[in-house]
Amino acid sequence: MKRLVTIFITLLLPIHIFSQFEAEFVDHCATSAGEDATYLKDFQVTLSEATPNQRQPVARFPLVLSKNNIYRFSICTADGSVGKAILQLYDSNKLIFSSYNKDSGEEFNPFNFMCQKTGIYHVFISFNEGKEGQAVGILSYVSK
Amino acid sequence: MFKHLFLLLLSATLICSCQNKSGRQGDIDFEVPDSVTMAESMMISEEALEEIVQNVSSPIEMAALINELGVPFSTKYLATTDYVDQYNTSFSMAYSLGVFGADLGYLNIYDKSTQIVDYLTAINKLADGIKVGQFFDFNTLKRLATSRDNIDSLMYISVNSFNNMDSYLRENNRGHLSALMIAGTWIEGMYLVTQVAREKVDPTLADRIGEQKVNLNNILLILNNYSNHQQVADLVETLGEIKEVFDQVEITYKMGEPETIEKDGMILIVQNEESIVNITDNQLNDIIAKTEKIRNKLIAI
Repeated sequence: MKRLVTIFITLLLPIHIFSQFEAEFVDHCATSAGEDATYLKDFQVTLSEATPNQRQPVARFPLVLSKNNIYRFSICTADGSVGKAILQLYDSNKLIFSSYNKDSGEEFNPFNFMCQKTGIYHVFISFNEGKEGQAVGILSYVSK
Repeated sequence: MFKHLFLLLLSATLICSCQNKSGRQGDIDFEVPDSVTMAESMMISEEALEEIVQNVSSPIEMAALINELGVPFSTKYLATTDYVDQYNTSFSMAYSLGVFGADLGYLNIYDKSTQIVDYLTAINKLADGIKVGQFFDFNTLKRLATSRDNIDSLMYISVNSFNNMDSYLRENNRGHLSALMIAGTWIEGMYLVTQVAREKVDPTLADRIGEQKVNLNNILLILNNYSNHQQVADLVETLGEIKEVFDQVEITYKMGEPETIEKDGMILIVQNEESIVNITDNQLNDIIAKTEKIRNKLIAI
């Protein structure tokens, strides 16, 4: 019976870690965006690993950005995640920028976006190679 | 004993696995059986509504713009918290919660810790009044406001508290109160920026006001979803007065490809596609006057 309990605890552990991260983790990620940046909103993501022949899991978030503002996008991957989180900014179906260049392996986190068109944009968050993980993306307002 | 432990662990597994704060994942759909009746009749799906709610821009950006334009802080732009005890209907409490939320954003941007505590206290009372006080972390917010250690933490917990209240209301068939909160936040943000525009002629402010046409349309979509509540229907009609003017404001677009540059050691993407707001002085003045009238009417006791 003791073994059964151990198995259950072992099974529960990753779920427990992934469900408890929010407040502290998001707060920490928000505060690390830089002194010139003010937190606006966050995008919390928990994705499971892609199964064979499945498209890479991705979470999508709509957001409104305003003209003449500079926004900072940053992404933090939670401890225990297998994959590294990637944040991509889209205008309609057009990719504006990605925090990770798959070809060169370069990471651009955080990155700033000078918005000239007020409208609806989308943030996509995924993990490299469709691995599982938990992450938070942060949108901040950058003082000029 | 082990049976109890087993049941406890199983319950915990179910609770944890039911939590979902992720964004939308394309291929996951939940169907509501026909036998399940919704307490609030919805014209648009919950998922679409969530998307529209996310498409209303933050009042913090308005306050930040005003701050960057060098406009000095003034309490005259704020709704007074003196009569908070007299907001005693769920309509007035939810609406004022949004109003004070917007004012809190303005105070945060201008770093006014003394006033922030007054607004936090008012928000806490109103949140308790509509039974969402459990999502408002008053003590932490008060500590952060008075210590001024970290404005981002203050912003994050404030925004998060409002998001949690909003989600809880919508999940518990009280979405009309969430809609009122959102409307209150927007109208107060509009009041702030239009009052500043009245005193300071600046094309950036005029553009920002004109762009609110998009936000107003989203707010009306949200409110219309709950227009079976008479007070929400009345608010839709009231906002129709501003919509008439906004309908005359034109927004055009100029195409262009984004450029990527490096500035201060960080990547900066400069968008060359541009939105252009065409708003006349008459339209602007009309919006300023109507916003003032509507805002003052809605917060009147």
